[in-house]
Amino acid sequence: MYSQDENFKKELEVDLLLETIYRLTGYDFKQYVRASIIRRIENRRNIENAPNITTLIERAFHEPGFLEKIIEGFSVPVTEMFRDPSFFKEFRTNIVPILRNYQEIRIWHAGCATGEEVFSMAILLEEEGLLDKAKIYATDMSKVAIEQARQGIVPLNKMQNYTKNYLKAGGTKEFSMYYKTNSQNVFFAERLLKNVIFAQHNLVTDQSFNEFHVIFCRNVLIYFNPTLQNKVHELFIQSLSSNGFLGLGNKESLRISKYADSYEEFSTDEPLYRKK
Amino acid sequence: MGKNKKIGIRTKIMSGYLLVIIMVIFAFFLVNKQFSVVQADKDYIMGHDFEVTTLSHQIEKYVLDMVRGQRGYIITGEESYLQPYYTGQREWQHNFDELYRLVDDPGQQAKLMVIKDNINKWADTVGEPLINQKKQESNGVTLSYLENDQGGATIDLIRSQFDNFREVEMEFRQNRADALNQNIDTLIQGLVTLGLLVFIVAIVMSTLVSRSIVRTMNEVIATIKDIATFTNTNALDLSRRITLRSRDEIRELGNATNELLTNLELREMHQQRINNTFNSYQGITSIAELCKAFISAISEEANSSYGAIYVRDFRSDRHLFVKSATFADGFDTVGRNHFELGQGLIGEYALKKSMHVLSDLDEFQLIPSALGSIPPKGMIIAPILYEGEVIAVIEILSLSNYSESDQQFIRDVIENFGITLNSAKDREEIERLLTESQTMTEELRVQSDDLQTQSEELQMQSEELQTINEKLEERSKEAELKSVALNQAKIELEKQAEQLVLSSKYKSEFLANMSHELRTPLNSILILSELIAENAGEQSRGEEEKFAKVIHTSGKDLLALIDDILDLSKVEAGKMEIIYGEMNINDLPNYLEMNFNHVAEKKGLLFNILKGANIPNIFCTDEKMMLQILKNLLSNAFKYTENGSISIEIKNVPNKELQPAFAGKEADYWIAFSIKDTGIGIPKEKHQLIFEAFQQADGATMRKYGGTGLGLSICQEYARHLGGYVTLESEEGVGSTFTLYLPSLSNKLGKEDVLLTSLEEVAASSLDEEVLSLDTEQVNLLEEKQNVLQGKNVLIVDDDLRNIFALEAALKQEGMIVCSVNNGLECLEILEEQPSLFDIILMDIMMPNMDGYETMQRIRANDELTDIPIIALTAKAMERDRKKCLETGASDYVSKPLDLEQLLSVLSVWVSNE
Repeated sequence: MYSQDENFKKELEVDLLLETIYRLTGYDFKQYVRASIIRRIENRRNIENAPNITTLIERAFHEPGFLEKIIEGFSVPVTEMFRDPSFFKEFRTNIVPILRNYQEIRIWHAGCATGEEVFSMAILLEEEGLLDKAKIYATDMSKVAIEQARQGIVPLNKMQNYTKNYLKAGGTKEFSMYYKTNSQNVFFAERLLKNVIFAQHNLVTDQSFNEFHVIFCRNVLIYFNPTLQNKVHELFIQSLSSNGFLGLGNKESLRISKYADSYEEFSTDEPLYRKK
Repeated sequence: MGKNKKIGIRTKIMSGYLLVIIMVIFAFFLVNKQFSVVQADKDYIMGHDFEVTTLSHQIEKYVLDMVRGQRGYIITGEESYLQPYYTGQREWQHNFDELYRLVDDPGQQAKLMVIKDNINKWADTVGEPLINQKKQESNGVTLSYLENDQGGATIDLIRSQFDNFREVEMEFRQNRADALNQNIDTLIQGLVTLGLLVFIVAIVMSTLVSRSIVRTMNEVIATIKDIATFTNTNALDLSRRITLRSRDEIRELGNATNELLTNLELREMHQQRINNTFNSYQGITSIAELCKAFISAISEEANSSYGAIYVRDFRSDRHLFVKSATFADGFDTVGRNHFELGQGLIGEYALKKSMHVLSDLDEFQLIPSALGSIPPKGMIIAPILYEGEVIAVIEILSLSNYSESDQQFIRDVIENFGITLNSAKDREEIERLLTESQTMTEELRVQSDDLQTQSEELQMQSEELQTINEKLEERSKEAELKSVALNQAKIELEKQAEQLVLSSKYKSEFLANMSHELRTPLNSILILSELIAENAGEQSRGEEEKFAKVIHTSGKDLLALIDDILDLSKVEAGKMEIIYGEMNINDLPNYLEMNFNHVAEKKGLLFNILKGANIPNIFCTDEKMMLQILKNLLSNAFKYTENGSISIEIKNVPNKELQPAFAGKEADYWIAFSIKDTGIGIPKEKHQLIFEAFQQADGATMRKYGGTGLGLSICQEYARHLGGYVTLESEEGVGSTFTLYLPSLSNKLGKEDVLLTSLEEVAASSLDEEVLSLDTEQVNLLEEKQNVLQGKNVLIVDDDLRNIFALEAALKQEGMIVCSVNNGLECLEILEEQPSLFDIILMDIMMPNMDGYETMQRIRANDELTDIPIIALTAKAMERDRKKCLETGASDYVSKPLDLEQLLSVLSVWVSNE
C-alpha cells in the first residue's frame, strides 16, 4: 500500500534535497518559487548526468564541492547594463535631483549578479556629479557572481546593446569614456568602482546591514514565493531610510505585497517606490 | 671502442694458419734435431766403440808380438826376432795413448792404467833384461827363461785384463745402443703427439673463428628480419642488443645493427612518449584539468622535476598569462602566479614565440621536495601557439640537462596541445554561452510564471479592490474637479505665454515705431543746427558755431542709432519685407563709386572696385537689402581706416568654398563681396562678438570712432535673410576683410517673404576642429591589443585632410583596412557601390556640401545599411549635437579632440560580433 505516485515522490525528493542544502549550508531555497527551483534542479541533474534527484542528494552529502555547485546553479545571474533604460531614465530625471540634496547617498543593489547594474548606477551618478558622495553596496548570494562583478569586466560583444541602453537611459556623455577594451572584454574604469562595496549576502537568511537611501532589487523577488517575498520586503523596509527609494524589476510590483501601503508609487510607468 | 684494437677476420684466419704452420715448422726442427742426436749416438757407438775394441786388440797384439819377438830372440838369439819386439814396443805406447784418450769412463781408464803398468812392468822386468842378458850371455839365458818362464804370468794377466776391459766396454756399448733405441722411440712418440697437437689447434682455431663470425651474423640477420617484418601489431623487442664478442668486422656489423636498434628504440620511445602524452589528456574538456594532465604528462615523459603551465587570460586587458597547472609544485611556492607578455625570461620567449632551452643552470629557483629543495640544471620554456598567437606557455625544470630527444618531444607535443587547448577554450566558451542562454530562458520562464501568479493573485484581490475603488472614485471626482481647475490654469498660463511672446513682438514693433517717430523731429533739429552752424560766421560768435556743430553731430549720431534700432527691431519683429528682383550686377561698381568715392577722397584713401570676369549679369536678390549690407560694411571700413586703401572685390564662388551649412543649399549661383581695408583690425577673440548686437571690439573703439555697434549685426541678419552670410578675416593692426556671400535665388522671384523671427543659428563653422595629435607612445601601448579590429574595413568621412591622415595612420596600425572620403556625398557614393564592404563608419559632422547629420540620415534610408555601426565625431559634444547625432542615425559618438584609446575601444565594441 505504498504510494506509487511519481509526482509525489519527486516532490519529496526535491524537499529532501532542499532540506539537505539548508541543513548543510544554511542556504534556504525552500521558499523559492517551486516551479523555478525544480527546473534548476532538473537542469543540474541533466548537466551531471544523474539518473534522479536522490543521486544528487547522495553526491551532495559525500562529494566535496558538489553542494556549492548546486547552489551556484540556483542563482540566475541574468543582467545587463541600463536594463530597461526607461527605468534608469526615470531614476535620473526624478530621483537624482532629490538625492542631490543628501550629504551622503547610500545605495544597495540587492542581488547584483555580475554587477552590470552596479556599473550602470556608478556611471549615472558620475554623470550627475554624485558618485563621490555615494556609497554603493552590491550584494549577491552567489560567490562566483560577486567575484566577477568585483572585476568590472563585461564581455565585448554585449557592449553594442549596452551602448544603446545607455543612450536610451539618458546618458549625457560618451559611453566610451568609461571603458577600455581588449579583444574579448570591456574593462570599466576603476574610478567607477572606487565607492562600491561588493559582498556576499543572502536575502533569505541574512540581516539588514545598513540604512539606505536607495535599494535596487530587480528581478530577484520573482524567484521567491509570496511568503519569502514578504520577508524580504520586511528586510527592505528595515533597511530603507524614511523617504528612501525602492527599485524593482519591470515585471515586479509592490501592489500585491503586504507592504504596499508602506510605499507610495513614485512613478506611474516604472517600478519605483518611495517609502512613506 | 678505441681501446679495443680491432682484429679483423682476415687477421684471425691468417693468424690461425700461421700458428699451424709455425707449429709444423717447429715440429720439423724438433724432429730433425732429435734425429741428429740419434745419428750422433749411432756414430759414436759405431766409431768410438769399434776403435776402442780395435785399439785394445792392437795393443794386445803388439804386446804379444813383443813377447813372441823376445821369446824368439832368446831362444834363437837371432836378431831378426827382435824386429817385432821393437815394433811392438814402439807401437803399443802409441796405441795406448790413443785408447786412453778415447776411453772416458774413469774405471776403464784406471783399468787401462793398470794394464799399462803391467805392460811396462813386463817390459822392464822381463823383456828388456832378458834380451840384454841374451846379448851378453847368449845360452844361459835361454835356459833360465825356459825354465822359469819369466813374465808368462804377467802376459796372461794383461790378456785377462784386456778381456775384462773389453767386456766392460761391450757392456757400455750395449747400454748406449739401448739408450739410442729409447731415443728413437721417444722421437716417434713426440712426432705423433705434435701431429695431434697441430691437428687440434687447427680444429680449435677454425671453430673459434667460424663461430665468432657465424653467431653474430645469425643474430644480426634475425634482428634485421624482425625489423623488416615489424608492424605495430607484433611488438618488437627493441631493447634487445646483439652481444659483441669479437673485435672484427662482425663487431662493426653488430654495432651498426645495435645502433639501428637504438635508433628505432629511441624513435619508438619518442612516439610512445608522444602517445602517452596524448592519451593522458585525451577526452578532458576542462581547461584546468587539461593543463594539469598535460603538464604532468610532459614533465614525467621528459624526466622533469618541476613544470608549470601558464595560460593566456583572455579576460584581462593586458597580455596576462596565469599559472593554470603545475607539476611537483604542491606547495604553491615556486614560480610566479602570472606574468605578462615580455615580462621576465618566460614572457620574453612568449613574445618571441619560440621555444627556449637552458642548460647547466647555476642559480635558479629550487624544486621543492619533502626534505628540501633541489637546484635544477636544465630548463625549457615553450610557448604554445594557436594560429600564430601564444595561448599558453610551459616551463619545465629538470635535475639534469634536457637531451635533444626531450626537446624534440616537447616541440612535437606542444603543437598538438595548442589545438587541443584552443578547442577546449572554445568549448568552454560555448558551454558558457549555452549556460547563459539557458539561464536567460530560465529567467524568461520565471518572469512569465511570475506574471501568471501575479495575475491570479490580482484577480483574487480584485474584489477587495472594488471597495477601495469606490472610495477612490469619490476621490477621483474631487481630483477631476481639481484637474479642471488645473486645466484652466494651464490655459491661462499658455495665454500668458503667448501674450509674452506677443508683448516681446510688440516691444520690437514699438521700438520700430518709436524710432520712426523720433526721426521726424530729429531730422528738423539736424537741419536747423546745420543751418546755424553754417551761418554762424556772420551773425554769431565762434562759440555758438561750435555749439551748433556739437548739436549737429550729436543729432547725426542719434539718428544713426535710431536707424539701426529701427532696422534691427524690424528684423527681430519679423517686419522685414524681402522683395526678390533681378538686378544687374554690372551697375553695382558705378553705384558704389558714386556713393563712396567722395568719402575716400575726403579721408585720403584709395578705393578700388574689382569685379570678377565670370559673373552672370543677372543676380536675383533683394537689391535694397543687399546694397544696405554693402553700404554698412563699406561705411565701417572707411570709418576704421585712417590711411591705406579700401577695396571691394566681387566674384563668383563655387559651392565647395562655401561654409558647409550653406554648401548644399539650393541656389543659382553664389557671389562673394569682399570688402578689404587696411584699418585697425579686430582681434581674433572678438570676431564672433562683433556680429552680436550692441558690440564693438572694445569700448575704447566706440569712444574713438562712434557708432552704435549695431551695423554688423544688422548686416549679418540681412545676409541671413537673403540666404547668405558674412565672414570676417582680420588681424589686429593690419586690416580686416568682411566677405558677404549671397546666393542668386531666381526661384523666389516675385515672392514676398515676410520673414518670421527664425533666428536659427547657422551651424558654427568648424573652427574648433582639432587635428588628432598622435602620440607614438600611446600608439605603442595599444599595439596588438585591439586585435578585434584586425582586418576590419572602416570608412572615414571627414573633410579635414589632416584628420584623415592622422586617423588613417592610427587605424592602419591596428590592422584595419581604411578608406576615406572627404564629404557626405562621396560617402554615399562609395556606400552605393559597395554597401556591404564596410564594418564601421567614422562620420565627421561638420562638413561642406553635405554635413554628417544629413549623410547619416541618407545612409540609414538605405535598407542595406540600417545596421552598419556609425560613430559620429562631433566637434564639440554639446548635448544637443549628440541628440541630433543619435536621431539622425549614429550608433555612438565620440567628441573631438579624439582620445585615441577611447576611439579604438569604441571601434572594438562596434565591430565585435554580438
